[in-house]
Amino acid sequence: MFRNYLITAWRNIIKNGIFSVINIFGLAVGLMSCILIMLFVRQEIGFDSWLTDSDRLVRMHTSYSMPNRDKFETVRSAGSMMPAIRDYAKNEVETGVRFIQFGITVRKGEDAFAEQATMVDSSFFSLFDLPFVQGSKTSSFNKPMDLIITERLALKYFGRTDVIGETLTICCVSDNTSEVAITGVIKNLPDETHLNTEMIVRLQPLLFSEDDGTLHTWTSLNVYTYFKLKPNVTMEQFQQRIDYWMDNESPLRDMFDNNETVTDFVQQRLMPVPDLHLNAKQHAGNMGDLTPMGDSNMIRTFIVVAGLVLLIACINFMNLSTAKASKRAREVAMRKVLGASRTQVALQFLGEAIAIVILSLMFALVAVEIVLPLYNELLGKTLELRLFSDPALLLSLLLVAILVGLGAGMYPAFYLSKFLPGQILKSTKSVESKSSTKMRSLLVVFQFSISIILVISTLVVYGQTVFSNNINVGYQSDNKLVLNVRPARENLASLKQELLSLPEISSVVYSSEAPTQDDENNNYFKLLETHSDGTANEQVLLNYHNMDFGFFEAYKVTPIAGRLFDENYGSDEINLVPENSSEPGKGSVILNETALKELGFTSAEQAIGKTLAHEVRGKQHLTIVGVIPDIYFRSIKFDVRPTAYTLNPTRLRAASLTFSTDDISSLLNKIELIWKRNVPMQPIELEFLSEMMKAQYNDEVTTAQLFLVFSLLAVVIACLGLYGLSAFTVERRTKEIGIRKVMGASVRDIVSLLIWQFSKPVAIANILAWPIAAYAMLSWLESFPYRLSELWLIPICLGVGLLSLIIAWSTVGGNAAKVARKNPIKALRYE
Amino acid sequence: MLKLHNLSRSYQTDNIETMALDNVNIEIKKGEFVAIMGPSGCGKSTLLNTIGMLDNPSAGDYIFAGENVAGYSEKQLSEIRKKSIGFIFQNFNLIDELTVQENIELALIYHKIPAAERKQRVEKVMDKVGIAHRAKHLPNQLSGGQQQRVAVARAVVGDQPMILADEPTGNLDSAHGQEVMEMLQQLNAEGTTIVMVTHSPAHADYARRTIHLFDGHVVNENVRAA
Ligand SMILES: Nc1ncnc2c1ncn2[C@@H]1O[C@H](COP(=O)(O)OP(=O)(O)O)[C@@H](O)[C@H]1O
Ligand SMILES: [Mg+2]
Repeated sequence: MFRNYLITAWRNIIKNGIFSVINIFGLAVGLMSCILIMLFVRQEIGFDSWLTDSDRLVRMHTSYSMPNRDKFETVRSAGSMMPAIRDYAKNEVETGVRFIQFGITVRKGEDAFAEQATMVDSSFFSLFDLPFVQGSKTSSFNKPMDLIITERLALKYFGRTDVIGETLTICCVSDNTSEVAITGVIKNLPDETHLNTEMIVRLQPLLFSEDDGTLHTWTSLNVYTYFKLKPNVTMEQFQQRIDYWMDNESPLRDMFDNNETVTDFVQQRLMPVPDLHLNAKQHAGNMGDLTPMGDSNMIRTFIVVAGLVLLIACINFMNLSTAKASKRAREVAMRKVLGASRTQVALQFLGEAIAIVILSLMFALVAVEIVLPLYNELLGKTLELRLFSDPALLLSLLLVAILVGLGAGMYPAFYLSKFLPGQILKSTKSVESKSSTKMRSLLVVFQFSISIILVISTLVVYGQTVFSNNINVGYQSDNKLVLNVRPARENLASLKQELLSLPEISSVVYSSEAPTQDDENNNYFKLLETHSDGTANEQVLLNYHNMDFGFFEAYKVTPIAGRLFDENYGSDEINLVPENSSEPGKGSVILNETALKELGFTSAEQAIGKTLAHEVRGKQHLTIVGVIPDIYFRSIKFDVRPTAYTLNPTRLRAASLTFSTDDISSLLNKIELIWKRNVPMQPIELEFLSEMMKAQYNDEVTTAQLFLVFSLLAVVIACLGLYGLSAFTVERRTKEIGIRKVMGASVRDIVSLLIWQFSKPVAIANILAWPIAAYAMLSWLESFPYRLSELWLIPICLGVGLLSLIIAWSTVGGNAAKVARKNPIKALRYE
Repeated sequence: MLKLHNLSRSYQTDNIETMALDNVNIEIKKGEFVAIMGPSGCGKSTLLNTIGMLDNPSAGDYIFAGENVAGYSEKQLSEIRKKSIGFIFQNFNLIDELTVQENIELALIYHKIPAAERKQRVEKVMDKVGIAHRAKHLPNQLSGGQQQRVAVARAVVGDQPMILADEPTGNLDSAHGQEVMEMLQQLNAEGTTIVMVTHSPAHADYARRTIHLFDGHVVNENVRAA
């Protein structure tokens, strides 16, 4: 019997030709989309769960919510917290570790390489049990100068991995070069981790340049803090313990009045390590993490998209199966006459559906293998489909296939098994009922609504990235190179002079940050003069950047009041005074418009000549000499902040080079030569500003591209379904069309009749989809302070509507024209 | 009204050429009632379809109202057909999804006739063929005789000067068959040219002239005295 079913199933696949192709192709594309998205999602949600005891690892984040100040959040903590909490919560915590991530230079022969090092407490390997290739966690990391590197670094510097005892020449922040012996080699970290550790050294004052205060502070938030919980201790228990300590025992207690609760102002929040990749963003404020943070919203969105694409393919299956049902009614009737029960018939059709889905799944897997390299390139990932070494994946795919088979096959099976044999065998008429035609139209409406929502969303996401890329940032960003001059502190003058001697370079200006480099430098400023209306002056938190003369000129920023920094005045540069000096240091400051408002000025002119008091390592009184328009120094994903620009030559870390040349590569070579001459043994870090700006929107662009791909696939599948359905309809309506032609209908009359039949569901789909898409996209756009105008939704919706109709017309048109041109007598002759 | 001159129609299937019509010469005058008879497969339907411009002759001339339409394009033929010819089929060929009224109206829809006038004319013919009480019914709710009356109504509502009927009584019992024949006779009396294929000598007797076909040839023609 089973064999008989298989044979009928196979023959039906063959006999239905184009319909089978549409079903299998559509399902295959749907499943392919699902698999691709699932591979991505699986990696994203699988971050760090591979770590030993990952369920016991937590990280501690900090947030400050002080009255009258913006909330400040970061995934880092203060250096003194970890040992204090570890020793206090002995019952909850097994151990803790702090990281400081810092850039170092490794020299090898004449070359210098920039590397990231992780400085950690000696407990590191008790929390992060990373596998060793050479050495072991007990033998390799127990002395102060022990150095562990990854296999990748070992290969890079030595060409082999058994490098214990070899030395690396490291130049640290404090300029002194030291030879450090390698004591262990660990395996390369997989992609699925938030750690970016390539080089692990012990936390020690020796390695700090400026001060080791980072480790001994309760308020300066510079270290990443992790704890390993004791078995059976929940994160919530530990959190309560920390909160109790914060409120009652911690040194922070002294910063607040007795009736105040410390945790109302300062929170130490825990997060499980496996959750960090996707959820750290919620605690990170405007700051970053060790590695780029994932986005759980995006993950959710993509899961939904995958489901929808698959659903559209399933609908094709349902529609085409029921449409074809009338052709199989006789088979059903005969089987019933021969004794099959309704259940048996239904099971037969379900089995057929599952067989088709499994066939589609095989095609989908092949397709995934083919497109995976492209997909990886788009995502910047290295996802792999390891089907056979991954039984979980194989099983879940089979499960999906069966679920999809059931989902898509249930309705047709139910519908087909319902036929009463007597009725069918007797009649020569089609058994097609009005309700099943209606059901199909409904499903087409549903398919197209989803497709249209996806396409509109894609366009809005795309529009927003285009908008972000083209927004007037307020400064001239063309033809700019940004050079990291941190290592060149002593040679800034000669470097600048030599760079300017290149004919291609018209200006070289130094600043603490270049645009897009944002360091969250915030400080309190207080206006000394009282306002004319007598309002008291509060301390105001301003973002501040330092720069050298000529910075604004190079970026073509012109003041709206006052002037820019000018060497000729001789008074602009901050003269720094010692911390305990009674006399404040003097200098000039330029404000942006937002800062102007923040300080309570009603016009730019009012501010000129007024004084801002400010304290960084010594008091300063800064005269406001100019006001500039708001410029987007950082990504427009964030608001423009109130900003003060000052002139402090000790804080210059970036050089902006304005160039004009047709031969970029020769210019880059020349710059590198000058760099090597002036800053020997330090790697050059040179980037185009335009690329740095683009990189800010990489995530959005990737999202937009992925969205685009998957919504196009959804549209293709929906159109395939429509094509199949129109082919079927045309077949079913051949006689009617023949009659109409005999009655005088022209080819055009017939084509427009059929096209209208299929335009109606698509038009209705548009009307349903527009408000849903508009609502979803308006709320998405809300997260951007600077966003595409809402009005854009109107042309986008109308455009997509028109496009969907045109697509529907061209899908249906071919079938319609074919039948309309047929000689009617053929249709009328044979019934 | 029309004249076929040395007209042939052949079908090519699997290398076998079937001569459905072979050198046929027929002239039909305005106001005639012509019956076409002959055994199955002799080419009667082909002849009727050719006259009705639903099919193109392979050779020969077809003069319709003074014009040789043999080489006309489908579009031109469709225009002439629309103005001049109504059809009745053996199997009625009503559209299942449309009501009686809508089926009849279909013959006017493609003639750019205003809706109000269409309605009026449809009602008139429905009265004439006695189907008005079934106006809102679907074809499969009617008996064969009723369906054929709807088809007759549809053929006449356009007021075309000629009606072609291919075995209009073939699927009907004798009482209903007679009913249809009487309607055709009535139409002929009002001036409509009628060409009808039939197997029934009794029904052929309604016509004044009978053409006998055999194997694509006209073998005999009888004209009954008036
Ligand atoms: N579309 C066609 N293709 C091939 N042969 C056809 C076609 N239509 C009719 N014939 C052949 O032409 C001959 C005449 O057919 P037809 O005019 O339908 O005969 P009748 O109506 O007298 O029964 C038959 O032999 C038939 O098989
Ligand atoms: Mg015939």
